[in-house]
Amino acid sequence: MPNRTLPLLKAAFTFLLAPAIAFSVDTTPDAMNRFVEQYCIQCHGGEKVKGKVDFTTISMDAAGEDDFDFWQLAAEVVEYEDMPPEDEKQPSPEERAAFQAWYESHYVDVEATPGVFQPRRLSTPEYRHTMRSLFGFDLENNVQKAEQTAVEPSLILKLMPTDPPGESGFINDTHAAPISTVIWDQYAYFAEVALIRLFSRGHPQSLNTLLDEDLPKNYKHEDITPKMGESILRNFATKAYRRPASDEEIENMATRLDGLSGAKLVKALKFEMQTILMSPGFLYRGMRMEKQPGKKQQEVDNYELAERLSYFLWEDSPDEELFSLAASGTLSDSKIIEEQVDRMLKSPKARTLADSFATQWLALDEIDDVYNDPYQLISFKSQPLDFLNYLFTEERPVMEIIDSDVTFTSHVTAGAYPKDRKKLEKYVKPRGIEKQVAPNQKLVLENTEGRGGLLTMPAILAMNHGPIIRGTWTLRRILGEHLGEPPADIPPIQAVVGGKKLSFREQFEMHRDDATCARCHDKIDPLGFAFEAYNEKGAYLLSDNSSLPKEMQSKKQGNPKIDTAGKLPTGETFENFEALKQIFMTSRREDIVRNSVKQTLSYALCRKLEAYDGPTVDAITAKLVETDGTWQDLFTEIAKSLPFRQTIITVTKES
Amino acid sequence: MTRNWSINRRTFLRGAAGAMMPLPFLNLMEASADSGVTNLAGENTPPVRFMSLYKPNGVHPPSWNINGGVENDFRMSPLMAPFSRHKDDLLILDNMGDFGFSSHANSTRRFLSGHHQNTREASMDQLIAEQIGGDTTHRSLELTTEGLFTGQIGCSYISYGPGGERLPRESDPQLIFDRLFRNPLDIPSKRAEMTSLLDRVREDADSLMRKAGSEDKETLDEYLTVVRDTEKRIELMQKGTNRSPIKFEEIQRPPLATNLDEQVNTMIDLIALALWTDSTRCATYMLGNSNSRMIFDFLGVKEQHHYLSHFFRNFSRDNIDGLLKISLWHMEKFDYLLTKLKSYKDHNGTLLDHSVVLFGSGMGHSDNHTAQRIPTILAGQGGGMLKTGRYLRYAENQELGSLHLALMQSFGVPLDSYANAGAPLQGLDGSPFNEYRERPFDSWIKLTSNKITVQGRLVMSENLDEAKTFYMEVADNGPVRVDVSFRDFHDFNLAYHVGTPIILEGNRDEKNGQLLMTKVSDLKSVFGKSQPGKQRG
Repeated sequence: MPNRTLPLLKAAFTFLLAPAIAFSVDTTPDAMNRFVEQYCIQCHGGEKVKGKVDFTTISMDAAGEDDFDFWQLAAEVVEYEDMPPEDEKQPSPEERAAFQAWYESHYVDVEATPGVFQPRRLSTPEYRHTMRSLFGFDLENNVQKAEQTAVEPSLILKLMPTDPPGESGFINDTHAAPISTVIWDQYAYFAEVALIRLFSRGHPQSLNTLLDEDLPKNYKHEDITPKMGESILRNFATKAYRRPASDEEIENMATRLDGLSGAKLVKALKFEMQTILMSPGFLYRGMRMEKQPGKKQQEVDNYELAERLSYFLWEDSPDEELFSLAASGTLSDSKIIEEQVDRMLKSPKARTLADSFATQWLALDEIDDVYNDPYQLISFKSQPLDFLNYLFTEERPVMEIIDSDVTFTSHVTAGAYPKDRKKLEKYVKPRGIEKQVAPNQKLVLENTEGRGGLLTMPAILAMNHGPIIRGTWTLRRILGEHLGEPPADIPPIQAVVGGKKLSFREQFEMHRDDATCARCHDKIDPLGFAFEAYNEKGAYLLSDNSSLPKEMQSKKQGNPKIDTAGKLPTGETFENFEALKQIFMTSRREDIVRNSVKQTLSYALCRKLEAYDGPTVDAITAKLVETDGTWQDLFTEIAKSLPFRQTIITVTKES
Repeated sequence: MTRNWSINRRTFLRGAAGAMMPLPFLNLMEASADSGVTNLAGENTPPVRFMSLYKPNGVHPPSWNINGGVENDFRMSPLMAPFSRHKDDLLILDNMGDFGFSSHANSTRRFLSGHHQNTREASMDQLIAEQIGGDTTHRSLELTTEGLFTGQIGCSYISYGPGGERLPRESDPQLIFDRLFRNPLDIPSKRAEMTSLLDRVREDADSLMRKAGSEDKETLDEYLTVVRDTEKRIELMQKGTNRSPIKFEEIQRPPLATNLDEQVNTMIDLIALALWTDSTRCATYMLGNSNSRMIFDFLGVKEQHHYLSHFFRNFSRDNIDGLLKISLWHMEKFDYLLTKLKSYKDHNGTLLDHSVVLFGSGMGHSDNHTAQRIPTILAGQGGGMLKTGRYLRYAENQELGSLHLALMQSFGVPLDSYANAGAPLQGLDGSPFNEYRERPFDSWIKLTSNKITVQGRLVMSENLDEAKTFYMEVADNGPVRVDVSFRDFHDFNLAYHVGTPIILEGNRDEKNGQLLMTKVSDLKSVFGKSQPGKQRG
């Protein structure tokens, strides 16, 4: 992000307040108001509001935290010289610098602080995993899974309404998705059916995990004593609240079991457990955190830290090891955090980083719309997911997301790697099976052209139809640039000019003649057209396609002249996607790392990033760029970062 | 009514072999008049229920078809053996459907919608439900076993709503049970429990509130609002009461099904219980998607059902055996359903007496997809709608729509036509119908040096070792064996003509002294259509 100048240097002074301005410019409110008056308000104010940006509704004098997004965008376009448009009056370099300096003093050169503490409801996948860890079994939807049929195996995912993404773009940011009566009824139902199953006679395995002694194999409800009931309640409440419940609470519940036995005892026990499952302490994260009185900014307590780690890396509640480290108070030690991140990434539960975090960040669920048949869908969608899981959990450099010689493929997708596929273990279709999804194999690419890295995976190319969507996706999701909404008054894109039918590329060249359009399309189009050598299903048209799977073949195949060349707004030129990839790996490296850091941090914190997160992003980005850092480094740095370990308590009132 | 309606908790208890134990409360409903409806004569009669059970992937015709029987004198086929003990309660229909070929998706739609092109109208089960649903809690149930076949989505649905739209189906027996018998609307004790739970969690939230910062407060406020709204909803529910004289909370929840067999048995238990308790009067149940790729490993079969169903092109004796094992399992489930419906006493008879069950598939020959001689059986008297214990083989191939129309009219649905059918199917209630009669025909063989032409009846071999072999029966002569490729089998649609007289011409050969035809060059039907159409009907 160019509006954050010299991040490497800044990173060194992250915690210093350094609003010093290198050269003398006038950043007084008057000068700034004149700047806006002169260069912005004509198109973005009052009557005429282009791109939903209105300077009359926002004040420079009182620029506060809430306006961060607005001024960030403004500073970006001014610095890039995207605005004012070419055909309007331009500010002098000094004026631009002054505006930039004003922005930085307000929003960049700020002290890193943590976010304000805010409890939030578990997202549906978090709730599902937490229930599974608590009970030791998944609540299943009983449905027969046959080849090529789509099933929802989880009762919870099946019955819960879909979580909307929060301001951060991630669904674990549930601040904007409050509990509703519909959700309440579902929670009540899940609690009821899970408890029925927990107490099913003759199946004591799950119940035993809540007891200090094992029940007999063919136990009956009569075998449970009130004392056992108390133990069950204590262990259950502790696991459910992700921290110990107070003795008073446990005693309070246990007295309700006194003198009961058999079915009556189990009924009372189930009721107590149901109140736990419906209480805010279970349904919300952070609700029971111990706050240090009288202190605004403070470390989160160890149990909260354990929870933050486990929901970040596993989308699940803390396991026993995290819990006991929290109990002993040692988890907050940086060394221990490093060890734990390493351990947690080796667990199969870390797969949620690919399946949930990366899927949301990169909009991978759009792949679902490409393939009708689950056989194809699973085969093609698992490629990016397996690849990302490999990057995340096997200490691979962050930049391998762009360029890697490793891919994951099965017999269904192997046609995309014609010159390397022979190395795969041969798939033999079992007798009597018409089609079958097979697990991906790791394949090292040595001779295959046009592949390697996420961007040229067939499913990624196929979910983004056409150069404009491909360009936009790359710009926003990978390079992390903000693109505003297209203006309402888009000039029509002409397909025929003077009786000549224009190619798609020519149409957009004309489109870019309009300065308003050029602001975004100068960036989008070259990226998008660089992918022209891949058809709409993601097949690489310049290599031998004879072995392509049916799903990737296209009518458009065999275009003799494919123009993939382009010029970036920076002036850099390239001939094809391979060359563009090299630009990504070098001059855009920092942007890509920075975006990865921002996305991951935002997911880890379950909230949108603010100006005061800037120094944290800068510091981690600098470190990763310098050391060619891995995803594991990134996760570790975030886990040790200030916003992850600290919080701000606004008001602590005792009433 | 002063009787105590408590139900023993052993409702779902099974014997060691997995069969249902006799239920201890069979006579409970005997005196119940509550679920009855008043007929035109002012008498209280039990409601008539409708239920449909769908078998995927057609059949192996030689194992399924009844050949040679008449209305009141017939023998059930080998595939019908599992439910043959219910013969007196069955009305077996033959010559249903008249398409050359049918896609899986089309055959699924046709099963309850009369015709595959009838895509903008409700299926017959829904029209019946609308007519007879009355004030039951659940107007209808749409059930299945399998996930969605998204590649051809139509394969997954037999029930369609008013605009012909696919109705969501449910496969989880416990979830169905909970919706039917654990609805807080019906169970006062559940409402009381939720009320005390709300009190307790409010206490908890209040204590958190005392320690909360302003952001926590906002969140807790949202939570407490929902707690209050739920309390209000429960108050409103106090007015609702269970119409049924049965205390639902005393019916035991079925255990988790661990395989397909248990899942289906449990679901059938639930269907019967739902019909008996008058929770619903209409249910449809798919044993699998139309082109089900399920693997029946609990039967020792490792191949996909759909693969095996194409028994001509994927021929082997093992495959045929596997296919028949699966088909027999389907038939056993039909038997289980009928047995179950009979086990409930309902007014002065059994539940089956007051039900109409439609069992069948969407296509006939499972390899060739002929939509002709589609397996179709009705069961139950429907309170007098059907005269059972008979085999109705119609002279002409019948539109499925005419069957649907006849059933709907019996249920009182005011319709004169449905799908492509302008008139109801005759004979279901014992009225006269145009019965299939053998018409005399000559049979002969003409030979040239390399050609053979035969007039006679085409049959499929009943020998499972040669399930892709056909024979032409010729009077006063041994049968002529027909060994053809899949191409000929398909292009001349031999499956469609099975059982009827045709003239078949092809290449002449001989094997072990028996005349043999190896390649078909022409086929003419003696009485019927020579080409039933190649439309993917």
